[in-house]
Amino acid sequence: MTNATSKGNREPILELQNVTKRFFGVPALRDVSLDLRAGEIHALVGENGAGKSTLMKILSGSYPCHEYEGEVWLNGQAQRFRSPGDAEAAGIAMIYQELSLHLDLTIGENIFLGRLPTGRAGLVNWASAWSRSRALLEEVGLDESPRTVLRQLSANQQQRVAIAKALAQEPCILILDEPTAALSVTEADRLMEMLLELKGDGYACFYISHRLDEVLRIADRVTVLRDGMKVSTCERAEISVARIIEDMVGRRIEAMYPGRTVTPGPVVLRVENLSVPHPSIPGKQLLEGISLELRRGEILGLAGLVGAGRSELVKALFGAIKAGGGTRVEIEGRPVASDSPHEAIAAGIGLVTEDRKKDGFIATMDIKQNITLASLSLIATRGRIDRARERAVAEDFINRLSIRAPGPDASIISLSGGNQQKTILAKWLMRPLKVLILDEPTRGVDVGAKVQIYHLMNELVGRSLGIIMISSELPELLAMCDRFVVLGRGRIQDEFTRAEASAERLMRAATIVNTDQ
Amino acid sequence: MSGTGKSKPISPFRPSVKRIFLAREMGVTIPLLFLVLLIGLRNPAFFSLDNLINVLRSTSFTFIVGIGMTMLLVSAGLDLSIGSVFALGGCAAGYALTRGFPIPLAIVFGLLVGFMVGFVNGGIVVWVKIPTFITTLGMLYMARGLVLVTTGGVPIYPLPAGFRALGQEGVAGLPYIIWIALALGVAADFVLRQTTYGRAVYAIGGNEETARLSGIRVSRVKLSLYMITSVLATLAGTLQSARLGSAQPNMGQGFELEVIAAVIIGGTSLFGGAGTIGGTFLGALFLTVLKNGMSMVHIRPDWQQIIIGAIIIIAAGVDQWRRRLHR
Repeated sequence: MTNATSKGNREPILELQNVTKRFFGVPALRDVSLDLRAGEIHALVGENGAGKSTLMKILSGSYPCHEYEGEVWLNGQAQRFRSPGDAEAAGIAMIYQELSLHLDLTIGENIFLGRLPTGRAGLVNWASAWSRSRALLEEVGLDESPRTVLRQLSANQQQRVAIAKALAQEPCILILDEPTAALSVTEADRLMEMLLELKGDGYACFYISHRLDEVLRIADRVTVLRDGMKVSTCERAEISVARIIEDMVGRRIEAMYPGRTVTPGPVVLRVENLSVPHPSIPGKQLLEGISLELRRGEILGLAGLVGAGRSELVKALFGAIKAGGGTRVEIEGRPVASDSPHEAIAAGIGLVTEDRKKDGFIATMDIKQNITLASLSLIATRGRIDRARERAVAEDFINRLSIRAPGPDASIISLSGGNQQKTILAKWLMRPLKVLILDEPTRGVDVGAKVQIYHLMNELVGRSLGIIMISSELPELLAMCDRFVVLGRGRIQDEFTRAEASAERLMRAATIVNTDQ
Repeated sequence: MSGTGKSKPISPFRPSVKRIFLAREMGVTIPLLFLVLLIGLRNPAFFSLDNLINVLRSTSFTFIVGIGMTMLLVSAGLDLSIGSVFALGGCAAGYALTRGFPIPLAIVFGLLVGFMVGFVNGGIVVWVKIPTFITTLGMLYMARGLVLVTTGGVPIYPLPAGFRALGQEGVAGLPYIIWIALALGVAADFVLRQTTYGRAVYAIGGNEETARLSGIRVSRVKLSLYMITSVLATLAGTLQSARLGSAQPNMGQGFELEVIAAVIIGGTSLFGGAGTIGGTFLGALFLTVLKNGMSMVHIRPDWQQIIIGAIIIIAAGVDQWRRRLHR
């Protein structure tokens, strides 16, 4: 596969050799070697947490060279980047996932922020800034005055400004991390055309994306990462969706997941026409036209990539974020006012959020206070908390869920992640629930606690609760759920039962590849 | 009941001793005793019954408003407007009295004004979502302006003797004001520590989003806290007018800072989620003893200010140090 192509020189200009990066001893990258050739687009794909972004942060100097093992070679020279500035000086420009632009500055100011050209006496040479901005805007195909304030531009145009800003450093290598995440389909199309043009101009690109359709369209080579390791790299001619997905998913042990025999009962939760408006872009919908049902004794898996709107969907039906007009949520046929968690909880819904530190527990409170937080009225008579009862309830849960803690008075932040998660679960189990929503319930939890959480889920559906589960860990989701709904681009892309489910089908729907490819 | 709950034999002694020493109020108690001793040695007149009652009476004003401020700070809120609202309450009651309102009705009128100011403060914070610091800072100016506009800047007097008695007389050897502060303190302590409402206040201060997602009606609770604080400020202002025998338009200037200082010295966390009424009582007492005592040992007022300022910083430092210790 090394024979010369029409482009002639296929020598790598950039090489990563045996890179290993650990966070607190946990490897995020294991012995990864990768190269980039002049004038190519090299796509990196993998599940969430596979190590793509970590790898690119090493390349861009965000992780200084003493924090990882392995070597970075650029044009035949070993590089030791100590800061993003070092990487920029060497010609590597990173365009970040979240736009790091200032909305109230002009295009030109954004492009040259921090390195505005200066003349005598240290004053900014605006004439030079504007003219150079104009040239860069032409290069990224943006027909706007450099004096336009950024806020007036569309997401796609802002993305182009970000790229122009990167090009202003006169790099030879561009790194794009999910550049289309905030763009609509047509905007993403235009961005990809532009990337192909830049490639024609001789820039080499690393391109990270979750969307396989984009990767298929523009990549010269595709590398799949999984669990911090490189699984495969294939040339354009060898690329196949089936193979990429297979490599992304891999095969894992099945014994972790306990089986169960529960026949789903009648519908307990019905969501109709749910939509969620975008929080900052007016008129844009994060989610629209979502309708789904959940039965008693059923675990419904909500799949999709990070950013597909899974958490927003459950938060909207729980009343934690504002749902759009026309949204209807029913519990056992009775409508639930979807504008406050208080109402949803009263109707029998519970939500375990994905980030327990941010909005799962209260760090200033102890275990018992965290457990009883959603059930204060159940342990109080006329507003007065029965503290003996509170303690008894908490002790009962500590035993039942085997929460490893010195006692109910121990601070919740003294617990391990798994035990914190079990405490949060106890908070909801204390209530008479009909529907429990679990958003990434096993994230940051040790294996033992994971298995325990799976058993607990089975026990709960056995008691005819309905569960909605969100997980980025495919094997977990596939093993635990009876039915699946896959979200992508703000809509339901696919819906199927356990019998019809496969990792491939799920990935296919989540990455939105046409089924005929 | 198989005994699994008692499987870990923890020494019953250690945690309780630790609890006493780590209790947030302890931060003030020892310096307070030390201070009292120091002042008493330099000037035994400090221990005279008159002076002690005087100290307690002054403490009561700070403490009454401090009750509301404690609850607000525990919920990670703040109210900077109370100094003006204090004057507004006193003048509203005074105004009603000069218009011939019966005494109880005049007092209720003053409290009603506080109720409304609190509703506006809380409403702006909760619904318009303007930061509490800005909202109550604005109200600090507006309420003072309102006092000056309605009184024309002139003190309201004379006030009826029955009203003055409220501030100047007492029962069982102690002024009414001290009894009122005591009753409010006991009630607030009960509410904060034993009721679901109090638990909600701590939860909101600890993590507002978690509290909301656990079904606590955050907006309602926050709104009510601003109203409680304002009502307490107008009550204290009314009592002050009764004590002085006239409603002064300029009273309570800088009072908000004194109250906040007392609450923080009393161990309430600046970051929300922790604090007690008992601590605030000790904080208010400490501040009053300090001021009273410094005058009694003839420290010049300008130096008093420097010392008070330093103590506030030290108290906040102790709070942060304690947080680090717990983590």
